[in-house]
This record gives sequence, structure tokens and C-alpha cells, in this order.
Amino acid sequence: MGSYMMVTILDVVISGLLLGGIYAVTAVGLSLQYGVARVLNIAHGEFIMLGAFITYSLYTRFGINPLICFAICGPLVFAVGFILYRTLFTRLRMSSPTPGAFEGNSMLACFGLLFIIQNVAILIWGADIKGYTYLAFPVDLWGARFAANRLVTLGFALAICLVFYLFLANTRLGKAIRAAAQDPDTAGLMGVRINQVLALCFGFGALMAGLGGALISISYKIQPTMGLEYTMIALIVIVLGGLGSIPGSFVGGLVLGLVGSIVTHIEPGLSLVAYYVIFMLLLLIKPTGILGK
Amino acid sequence: MKKTTSKRMFTFGLVLLILVLAACAPLYAPVYTVILLTSILMYMTIAVSWALFSGPTGYISLASAAFFGAGIYTSAILGKALPLPLVIVVGALASFCLALLVGALTLRLKGIYFVMFTFGLVELLLHFILWWEVTICGTTGRVVPPAGNATVFYAMLIILVILVLTVFIIRRSRYGLALFSIGENEEAAAHAGVHVTVLKIIIFAVSALFMGAAGAAMATRWTYIDPRIAFNPLISFMPVLMAIFGGIRPLYGPIIGAAIFTYLEEFLITRFPYYYMLIFGIIMVVAILYMPDGLVGLIQRLWKGISGRKHADT
Amino acid sequence: MKNKGWIWIFVITVALLFLAGPVGAKEAAVKDKIRIGQAISLSGPLAGAVAIAGGPIYELWVEEVNKNGGIYVKEYGKKLPVELIRYDDKSDIGTMTNLLEKLILEDKVDFVFPPWGTAWLFAAAPIANKYGYILIGGPGGALKLKELSLPYFFQVLNFSETQAPALADIFKGVGVKSVAVISRGDLHGIEYGNAMVPYFKKKGIDVKMNKSFPPGIKDLSPMLKEAKSLNVDAFVAAAYPDGGMLLTGQAMELGIDFNAFFISVLPFSPKLYRGTFGAQGVEGVMGGGAWNAKTSPGAKELVDKFVARFKEEPDYWGGLYYWSSLQHFQQAIEKAGTLNQKKIRDIMAKEKFNTALGPFWYDKDRYFVNHPGEIGQWQKGVFEVIDPGPKRTAPPEYPKPPWPKK
Repeated sequence: MGSYMMVTILDVVISGLLLGGIYAVTAVGLSLQYGVARVLNIAHGEFIMLGAFITYSLYTRFGINPLICFAICGPLVFAVGFILYRTLFTRLRMSSPTPGAFEGNSMLACFGLLFIIQNVAILIWGADIKGYTYLAFPVDLWGARFAANRLVTLGFALAICLVFYLFLANTRLGKAIRAAAQDPDTAGLMGVRINQVLALCFGFGALMAGLGGALISISYKIQPTMGLEYTMIALIVIVLGGLGSIPGSFVGGLVLGLVGSIVTHIEPGLSLVAYYVIFMLLLLIKPTGILGK
Repeated sequence: MKKTTSKRMFTFGLVLLILVLAACAPLYAPVYTVILLTSILMYMTIAVSWALFSGPTGYISLASAAFFGAGIYTSAILGKALPLPLVIVVGALASFCLALLVGALTLRLKGIYFVMFTFGLVELLLHFILWWEVTICGTTGRVVPPAGNATVFYAMLIILVILVLTVFIIRRSRYGLALFSIGENEEAAAHAGVHVTVLKIIIFAVSALFMGAAGAAMATRWTYIDPRIAFNPLISFMPVLMAIFGGIRPLYGPIIGAAIFTYLEEFLITRFPYYYMLIFGIIMVVAILYMPDGLVGLIQRLWKGISGRKHADT
Repeated sequence: MKNKGWIWIFVITVALLFLAGPVGAKEAAVKDKIRIGQAISLSGPLAGAVAIAGGPIYELWVEEVNKNGGIYVKEYGKKLPVELIRYDDKSDIGTMTNLLEKLILEDKVDFVFPPWGTAWLFAAAPIANKYGYILIGGPGGALKLKELSLPYFFQVLNFSETQAPALADIFKGVGVKSVAVISRGDLHGIEYGNAMVPYFKKKGIDVKMNKSFPPGIKDLSPMLKEAKSLNVDAFVAAAYPDGGMLLTGQAMELGIDFNAFFISVLPFSPKLYRGTFGAQGVEGVMGGGAWNAKTSPGAKELVDKFVARFKEEPDYWGGLYYWSSLQHFQQAIEKAGTLNQKKIRDIMAKEKFNTALGPFWYDKDRYFVNHPGEIGQWQKGVFEVIDPGPKRTAPPEYPKPPWPKK
């Protein structure tokens, strides 16, 4: 009985982490866009969708391994994000009288982008649900059983977040991004080319979304309208982790995955309710997030 | 002095004319026009109620769908038992109470945290009611007795007129000024003797009241209601977009925004069913790039340009 | 300053009142075509389901009719080609109701086709009925719809009331002793789940688990694992394509096998289901439906035409149902010799016509009853009808072979 309990607990915890890994990657991207570039990117999920569909096309059309697709879809989505910020959002930032007005206006622009990207995706790929199977076999871990593709996904999610964290902590560009996050004006004075840095941030945010989408396409079925659902989850996670905190978003993603897994185990009907209850309770009690002070 | 009086008379007359024109629409306009106008009135009501609270205070609420949905649900539950006007009143009150509760809970939340909370509220209600119906009641979805097109139209028109009057009165009163002072600087407003919290909650609830009324009236057009239909997150975003598009501050900004948005959407969707989102999105992006103060801001700038040149000529 | 805004409102009000009026919807002097309107989800969450189930059948029918010169209407003494006017309801029910009324009132279409989904049918049926427009229900259906009792509404698709007893019979026949049921937390899941459980019990099948899950859930493995630990013979899910795909994927990835595996709304789609998991992967999976090319010569013809047009097979639940309902409709129009809704409706309600699936007629509630099949099962790449009785195209495969090991 004791060992059965242990296996169940292990099962629930790892299932949670498997889901949480994906949440973490997408949320880190959104966190970067909101925390540094100050764009509450409602179209974040559309970049996830783009990443998922590019991976899908490359795998089913050309047989390219989904994990190798990262190298193709990542830069592609990054470029889209970077160019968008350089053209659209920089202009908006300049024309908006206050940071508050920029937040409002950029959210509105993101809505426009959401419509545009979704429509283009429907025109390219059609509106129907799509999927493929990859590494769809079970792996036994200490008596509990998991899907190989999800374990690989988790591994990649953790690796992506780690690499990104190291990049922020150790490179010149990473430091500039962190400086801009603290205080864009001062950073500008200190010689950081602020528009360039913000655009890079937005691009990196899109990149994370694209990679997240590629990971999602391995385990989940995809359709052009899937974006908003993932945007909502990413929003919950960045609040959970504390707005603008990148390690926070990472931890928040894993926590949300765990919560979902535990609740699904007890009462599956309440799993989504639990997400929002936690989200709102946290906002009320500790709006700075689980890692916040 | 005399000039402002005549100006006021002119505005008053114009508003009256608009009202009479609109009120008689079912008599002379084709039926579908009335249906389209009903949708426009619905979005006007939501956008104006949204702007009533969020415009002056600067608190961006994404809870509109929750309040609108509360009205829809009241209609779904009571629609068979009560006459429509009563259903609308109950729906409005249900929404009002919900907003009081939410307002009291979110007292301390500011900025983006408030946005997030109100956004979460809609999803929480949706999933919770769904779970409740499925697990506890064992059924989901309700059939609402349909009302005639003209009935719904007049209901929406009356709701909007009362709303506009309410907004007008509130803005004219000292509470209106106090609301704006919250938006400018909340601490200062509190120090200046404005009972900030109470005022905020009341106005928030009043704005919800009208959204609930609109929901209760519109539900009769949809026949079948389930949580997914009632709590549609798009309803939260649309009024924000419409108000920003039209211009938040003046009362007529959201009205214009709602009218143009709804009409444009209908126009595009029927002419370009496969490309309308693309076109709509491009229009939104262009609008936000070139009209940062909304349509009203643009018009005022143009107007100033014209009248300024006139001055220069003479 | 103040009144400038109001002037604009005035201008816009007037403009709207005039612009919103009928534009270009003038009745042609000479009737040269039959115009049919359809408000359906081309974008939004439902669009994916529209594309795999039902949507293309309507397009194919219109093209097919026009290839033959149109529908002969005696009143005009000639064949009239058909034009399909489609609007996108964005998966939003309010938009759908508006667009449906626009089609009827402003575009003055001759007929309307149904929107997609049960809730959408609920909203559309009273509107069509109000204006005396025939509405032949396509994808969707629920017992609750019967309560509305609308004279112009015809229900085509079979649903849980006929599928649940058939599934229980099949299970009994192959020797299923115990079953786990999970259902989507919405009208479909509830009605379907509730309909099945009593039939299972009546047949002496032990229902060891009965749970619901919310739409949009991201992990169904706990339910699969729980059912496995209860050692049930059959796993039954009342789910939509999103949940069904997740469920199948997870069962396969985790190697959780049951002797019978049933999903209500999904396996019928060769494109999505067999296309994703492969013929070997879906071998033995049961689903709501059902028909296939062996059902009738007309069914074979439909598959061939569909494949020629869309380069894929049609859906094996509704495809033949909708197709045949449209053939029935066409013959009713030709018999009526007019485009008058009332006359056509009366003929539809009582006449039996021959269609691709064989004789087609509606019962007294205007429900189509001569279903080509209730339950299907993937066997060697074919969605076989496994109902007990004459509709069967192959006996059930039991136990289901384990998921392929890759």
C-alpha cells in the first residue's frame, strides 16, 4: 500500500511537471515582453500557434525531426517578433504620451495582430485540428509510467529556460536587458540602445513562444485558434511568478502544472477552476507573486 | 453666456433628434436594420458602461463579460417565470451585486493587477458554473423564451438612454470630478476628502448594472444559453477596444467607437468571410498607430485644423 | 467643443440607418438561381470541427447540383442552379443569429442551411421557424431540441438515444463485463453520458467509473490510469475532437490498453483521426457514426466524389446523413414545383424519397430515423459499422489489439 501511495504521488508530481514545463517556457516569453518591453501581448498565443504549425509542417511535409525544427522555427518567430517591435511598437512607444497610454495602445495593437496572425494561419493551414505522433511510447520510471515524448518535452523545456537564464545572467546583452527591465530611461542614459534592446526582448519573447509551440505540437493537437487559451495560461503563470520576474515565471509554470495535476487527480472537473482560484487568491493576498517579497 | 445657452440648446435638440430617429427605426427601417441596430445598441451600452468606470479612474476592467453574463444567466433562469422588464431589472441587480462583491475584494489592486483579476473573474465564473451545472445539477444549458425583434430593440434603447443620462448626471456631479481625481492621483484624491473606495465600488457596480441589464435583454435573442455562451471573453475585450478606438474621455467616444466597430465588423464579415479578421486586424493596428487618442481625438485635431485655418484666413 | 461629438453621432446614426438598409439585395427580375445562405463557423474554436465534419458536404452538394444544371422547379419551368452564400459566425452564437436573420431578411435567400453545433442549432431553429424557413439540422443534436417542437425544423443526425442502446448491445454481444465512462462537461457529454449508463446497467454491464472533465483540460492521463487500475474491459468517452485526440494520444503514449475503446465524436474522421494516429494506431477503436463505402452504392459514390474533390475521405458519421438529407430536400423541391417553404416543408414531412443511403423519410417529430448505422469501429483502415442487425458491415473486433509499440 505504501509503495502504491508513493507511485501515485510520483505519478501526480511528474505529470504536473510535464505540463508545467510547457507552461514555463511560454510564460517566460510573455514575462519578458511584459516585464521589459512593456507590451501585454494578447497575441502571445498566436506566436505559440505559429511555432506549433511550422513544426507540424516541417515534420509532416519534410520529415524533419520536431526537436531539430527548433533551430528553424525559433529564429523565424524571433524575426517576426523583432521586426514587429522595431516597426509597430517602437512607433507606438514614441507616440504614446505616458507609459500607461503605451500599455493600453500596445494591447490594442496586439489585438489587431491576433486577428491578423490567426487569419493568415487559417489561410495557410486551414481551420481544422491537426496533429502528428512522435515518440508515442511509454517509459517506466520507478514504477510509474510516462509518455516518452512528454519526458523529452520537459527536458527541452528545462534546458531552454536554463540556457535563457544563463544568457540573461552572463552576457552583455543579457545585462542590458536586465538594466532596461529595471528602468528603461536610466538604461538609455547609460548607453544602452534602448529601442534595440526592447525589440530584442520582444523578439526573444516571441522566440520562447515559438519554441513552446513546437513543444506543444509534440504532445497536443493544434489548430489556428488555439492561441488565446495558451495566452490565458501564460497570463496566470506570470502573475503567479510575479510580474516581470523571469525566474518567477519559470517556477510559476511548474507550480501551475503541479496544481493542475493534483486537482485533476482528485476532481477532474475542477482542474481549470483551480487555476483561476489560485490566480485570483494570489492577486488578492500576494500580488507580487510566489517568489515576490 | 448667451452663446453657451444656445449651444446647449442645439446639443439638446440634436440629441433629441437622434433619439426620435432611433426610436422610430422599427417603424420605417427594414427588420434587419433593427436587428443590427440592436447589436450596436448592445455594444454601445457595454462600452459606455465600461468607460463610465474605467475612463475617469484609469482602472481597466476586463470583467464586462462577467457582468453581461450574469444578466444573460438571470434571463436564462427566470426567463420563463417573469415578464421581460422584470427579468431585465433582476439581471441588472444580480450584476450590480456581483460587482459590489468584486469591487470590495479588489480594493487594493491597482494597474495591471486589477486588469488581471477582472480577467480571471470571467474565466472563473465560466468554469465554476460549468462544473456546478454538470456535477451538481446534472444538466447544462437552458432554453430562453425568445422575444420579438422590436421588443429587444426598445429594451436596449431604453437601457442605453437611462445609461447615458446616468453617466451625464454622474459626470456633472461632484462625484464625477472626484472620479477623475482618482484617475489623476488616487492618494491625493483620498487626502482631498473624497471617499475614494466607496465611490470606486459604487461606480463600478453601477457600470455593471447596465451591462447586466443589456445581457438579460440580449439573451432573449439567443434561445439557448450555456456558460460558454454567457461568459464569452470577447465581450470583455470588445468594449475596451471600442472605447479606446472612439476615445475614452468624452461620453460620445465609446458610443462612436461601438457603432463603427459593430457596423464595420458586420460589413466585413458578410463581404469578406475568409479575410475579414485580417482586414479588421489591419484597421485596428493602423487606427492605433495614427489615432492614439481615438477617433474623437483625431476628429478634434482635424476640426481644430479647419477652424484654425479659417481664423488665419480672416 | 462639446456638441461636435454629438454632431458626429448624428451623422453616424443617419448613415447607419441608410447604409444598413438592403444593399444590392434587389430581387432579380428573372429568377435565375436558387440562393441558399449559411452562417457557419469559419474561424474561432469551432472552425476546426466544421472543417472535418459536415462543412465540405454542403459545398460538394452545391457543386454536384450545378454540374447537373441545377434543380428543376416547375414554377419557373427550368432548372435553377444553386448559389451558396456563406458567412462566418466566428464561433459566436450572437453573430450567428444576426447573420441568419440577415440572410433571411436582407439577402432574401431562398433557403438556409444549418450552422454547426448543438447550441447553434438551438438558437437557429426558432429563428428559421419564425420566418417560416425550413431548417434541416446538420451537425448537432440533443434530446432537448425535441422539446422546442418547431414545425420547420428537421433533425437529421442520429444521437445518443439510438447510439447508446446500440453500443450497449455490442458490448453485451462481445462479452464486456465492466466499463469506465468519462464525459465532457457540456450538453453533449451530459446527455451522452447519461444516456449510456442506464443501457449498460440494463445489459448487466458494471459501470465502475463515471466522471466528467472540463472542456479545455490538458491532461486526461489520471482518468485513463484510474480506469486501468479498476481493471475495466471497456473505456467509453463522451468527448469532442479536442478531448478525444488528447485521450487517444495519451492512451497510446502510456500504453494503456482496454479491450474496447470508444469515443463519441472523433473516430469518424478519417482525416483527423486515422490521419494522425495511422491505420494501425486506430485499429479497433470504436466511435459514433456510422457508415462507409460498403453501406450502399450511393455511399460508395459519395466517397468517390468526395475523394475526387477534396483529396480525402468524408467523415463517417454525418457525411452520408447530410448528403442524403440534401438529396431528399432536392426531390421535395422538385415535387413541390415551387420554392414555397410551406409546400416543400409539407412534402418533406411526409414523403419518402430514395437517396444515397436508401429510402429517406422523417418521423412524426420530423426526426430522420432510417440511420445507416450507429457505432463504427476502425478495422484495417475502414470505419466498419458494427451495429447488431442488417446495417452491420463487419463483426466487432474484440478485444481491441494493443496500441502499436513504436
